[in-house]
Amino acid sequence: MIHLDHLYRVAFHLAQDPVDAEDLVQETFVRALAAHEQFDPGTNMKAWLTKILHNFFVDHYRQRKRWISAEAVTHPESEHWQRLPDLNPGPDSNVLRKELDDQISQALKKIPEEFRAPIVLVDMADLSYDEAASILSCPIGTIRSRLSRGRKLMQQYLKVYVGGEPKRATQK
Amino acid sequence: MTCEEAQELITALVDRELLDPERGSLQSHLQECPRCRFAVEQEQLLKQTIRGCAERMHAPGELRDRILSDRRVFPEKSPTRWRHRLWPMPNLARPAFAAAVILAIALPGFFFIRGSREPVAATALESYDLFRKGALSVHRAENPAEIVEHLTRAVGGHFHPMGYDLTAMHLQPVAGFVQEIQGRKILVAVYQGQGGTLFCYTFFGSEQDAPGNAARFYDTTKKMNFYAFSRGGVNAVLHREGEIICVLASEMPMEELLALARSKATPS
Repeated sequence: MIHLDHLYRVAFHLAQDPVDAEDLVQETFVRALAAHEQFDPGTNMKAWLTKILHNFFVDHYRQRKRWISAEAVTHPESEHWQRLPDLNPGPDSNVLRKELDDQISQALKKIPEEFRAPIVLVDMADLSYDEAASILSCPIGTIRSRLSRGRKLMQQYLKVYVGGEPKRATQK
Repeated sequence: MTCEEAQELITALVDRELLDPERGSLQSHLQECPRCRFAVEQEQLLKQTIRGCAERMHAPGELRDRILSDRRVFPEKSPTRWRHRLWPMPNLARPAFAAAVILAIALPGFFFIRGSREPVAATALESYDLFRKGALSVHRAENPAEIVEHLTRAVGGHFHPMGYDLTAMHLQPVAGFVQEIQGRKILVAVYQGQGGTLFCYTFFGSEQDAPGNAARFYDTTKKMNFYAFSRGGVNAVLHREGEIICVLASEMPMEELLALARSKATPS
C-alpha cells in the first residue's frame, strides 16, 4: 500500500500516540476516497494525502490534546522499532539505532508543534518547502524559519548523538 | 551578513531550497566563517539522522488490514457501487485518479482479506513439506520463462514471482504453482538440482508476515531486514522488496540460506 508507511510516520509524530496515528491514517484513506474529485492528476498524491491527514489532525486531535503537557506524556516502549536478537550486533548495531530512534521521537515530543510539524514534513516525509507550506497553510518563509528554529531545538536534545552544539547564533 | 542572518539560509541550503540571490551572499559568509561552516555540517547530520529514523519506521501490519476491511474504503458486495464512485460520469481526469488510487490503495489489497492470524509465511511452508513427501504434484515447466508466465498470469499480472539464478548452487527452476492462504495468493517457484530443493515464495505483504519467533537480521549494507525461521525441518528466510515479500525455503543449513537471501535481495 503505497504511502501507508509515510502517512503513518507523519501521523505518529503529529499525534504522538500510536493508536491515534492508526486512526488518523485510516480516516485519511476514507476521506481521500470521498474527496477524490479534488485531487489534481499529475500532482503529488503523497502531499495531497498528507494534507488531508493534517487537516483531520488539526480538526479532531489537536484540540483534544491541547491540555496535555508534552513532558507529561509517557509512551510504552515503541513496538515499531523492534528489539533485535543479539545475533547481529556490531558497531552499527540495531540496538544503538533503536536507542537513537527513541531519542529522536522523544525530542520531537518536546518541541512545540509549530516547529515539529515542518520537521516531520520536510525531514521525515521528504516533502518540499512548497508542499509543507501548502499542507500547513503558511508561507514558505515561515516553513524555513520554523525549520531552522526547530532543528536548533532538536540539536540541543540530540547533541550526544549528532555532535557538538550549534554555535552559529553568535553575531560576527 | 551576520551569523544570525545566516541561520535560516543555512537551513535552506541543507534542504536544497536556497534561492540563487541568497546563495551568493551565504557562500561569501561561509568562506569567512568556520563556525557557520560547522553549523552546515551539523544541520546536514541532523537532517540525515532524522530521515534515517523515519525510514526505519513502518506502519503496523494490522493497520493495513483495518483499512482494507473498512467498508467505507472497500464497500462490501458492491463492486458496481465502488465502480460508480470512481466512474460516475465521463471525465478525463477521473481515470487518472482512479489509476492512482488503485495503485496506492486497492491493488495490493486484493489478496489481503485475512481470516486466521497465523503468519502466512509459516503456513506457506506446508507446501514444501508436502512436496518432499511426494504428496504435492506440481506442473513441471520446460523453461523458467514458462514458470514466470504461468505464475504471473495466475495473479492477473499484478506482480511477478521472484526469480534468482542459482546455477552456482546447482539449482534450476523446474516448476511453479500458486498457493492460496487466508485469501492471499502466493506464487511458488520450485528449484531442484544437485543442491537439493528450494522453494521461492512471492506474495504481496509486509514484514509482519514473518512469524513472531523468527530471528531478525539487519543487513547494514543493504539496509534490509531478514527473518529466519524453521518449521518441520525446513529452514526459511523472509525479506521484503517494496510491497513484495520473498521467502526462500530449503533444507540447507540456515546460515547458507540466510547468506543466499542476503546476496540475492535487492533493496527497494
